[in-house]
Amino acid sequence: MNKVITLNLNGNAYQLEESGYEALRGYLETASRRLEGNPDQAEIMADIEQAIADKFRARLGPHKTVIVSREVAEVIGEMGPVEDAKPGSNDTATSASASTPPHGGATPVGSTSPVSPRRLFKIRDGAMLAGVCNGLAVYTHLDVTVIRVLFAVLTVFTYGSGGLLYLLLAILLPTADTPAERDAAFGGPSTAQEFIRRAKAGYYEGLKSFHDSESRREWKRKFRRDMRDWRQEFRREMASHAAQSGVAGHGYWWAWPHPGAGLWPALLLLSLTKAIITFAWILATLSLLATGAVFGLALPAGMPLWLGLIVLFVAYRFIIWPVRAARHVCRLHSGYGVHGFTGFADSFVWLGVLILLVWTADRYVPGAHNALQQVPPALHQALDSLRTWWAKR
Amino acid sequence: MSLDEKFTPIRKGLLEFLVLKIVAANQVYAADILKALSATEFATQEGTLYPLLSKIRRDGLVDYEWKESESGPPRKYYELTPKGRARLQETADYWAKISGTVKNLGQK
Repeated sequence: MNKVITLNLNGNAYQLEESGYEALRGYLETASRRLEGNPDQAEIMADIEQAIADKFRARLGPHKTVIVSREVAEVIGEMGPVEDAKPGSNDTATSASASTPPHGGATPVGSTSPVSPRRLFKIRDGAMLAGVCNGLAVYTHLDVTVIRVLFAVLTVFTYGSGGLLYLLLAILLPTADTPAERDAAFGGPSTAQEFIRRAKAGYYEGLKSFHDSESRREWKRKFRRDMRDWRQEFRREMASHAAQSGVAGHGYWWAWPHPGAGLWPALLLLSLTKAIITFAWILATLSLLATGAVFGLALPAGMPLWLGLIVLFVAYRFIIWPVRAARHVCRLHSGYGVHGFTGFADSFVWLGVLILLVWTADRYVPGAHNALQQVPPALHQALDSLRTWWAKR
Repeated sequence: MSLDEKFTPIRKGLLEFLVLKIVAANQVYAADILKALSATEFATQEGTLYPLLSKIRRDGLVDYEWKESESGPPRKYYELTPKGRARLQETADYWAKISGTVKNLGQK
């Protein structure tokens, strides 16, 4: 039994076996990198995706809906290595192209090139503002739309510090202008694949340790117990802090870090906890919507998707409740206005956690990466259905 | 080193000429070009052809128009521009000269 991944090739959906998907992704990434700097890069990539889609379609039928890895290898072999036809690019490495196509088991080109870590750059091609989102998209291998939406949502929900972060990045990040800088921005294709391979190895290794259901239950119990103890301790701590600072609580909001305001670290910690839980919930919801499973854990048989979403939400409210309560108490006693410095500082905590979480999930949880990549097509689909619904009225 | 390998750069250099020839004869789309080349020593793959087509379009030698196909999405059909026609003539003449030289040189 093999995992199947759905992908969008130039507007058409295809289902591929997982290893085939990785091979194809490697091929397309290499192709895109080789065409870097070519003014027609996007167009050629669309042509290539279309040609691959045609070849896939020829292999599918009414009773065959999944492209197996062997077929992906065949198609990649048929396509041949992509090489730029720029004047002056007569390097010998690509000269074998005019010979007869290789038969069978082709591997993605470039998988043996030396490992070069990617670096964060601004990328101006196709940028809306300064190319920060573009650079982030390339760096994280995510669709630029996802990054842009994240930034927009962030700016709205964080009192504008998302915009501030953008400004900072726009000033601080170098622009990838030269081919060498672009290479550094995009990284070697081998890097990406090596990363995926390693991340997966760790992921499955982790899953393996939970095979024994008894120990799994024990682990869960212990986790819950720890969480409970921790929460109780935290509330006690909060209460004592609140009692102490109640006296010195009427400082000015800019008095931070006033030693009397001992609540500050507690508030920070609470904000952090709340942010982590909230984003975990958002990621879980996204993952459920995109893949039908929460971080790879499928819903119990017979459970509809909407019920899963509700359960997730209820669980989220339940988990977040003590944190919210503690934060409320903390704020009441701190003397800082909710809309004063705490609100603004909070947003930075949120920002940091969001970036860290998305980055971590993207790097180390294969499911999350796929889920994030599924967001733009899902959005398009939702928009389309909304439009048809509107047109019907 | 096989003859096949030895002549790789020459085949590569001639590919643009041959693609122009194929496009000149008929309005074609990429798969037609690949099919026309497949039976010859110049058999080529998409990975090579698409960047080449984009380059000669940018050079103004060919142009394309989208046409509906019975199966699947619309396709790009290529045809020569006047500039492409001139280039083809030029190249054909030059090729005739070269092959004449190759044939006649050293003969008594």
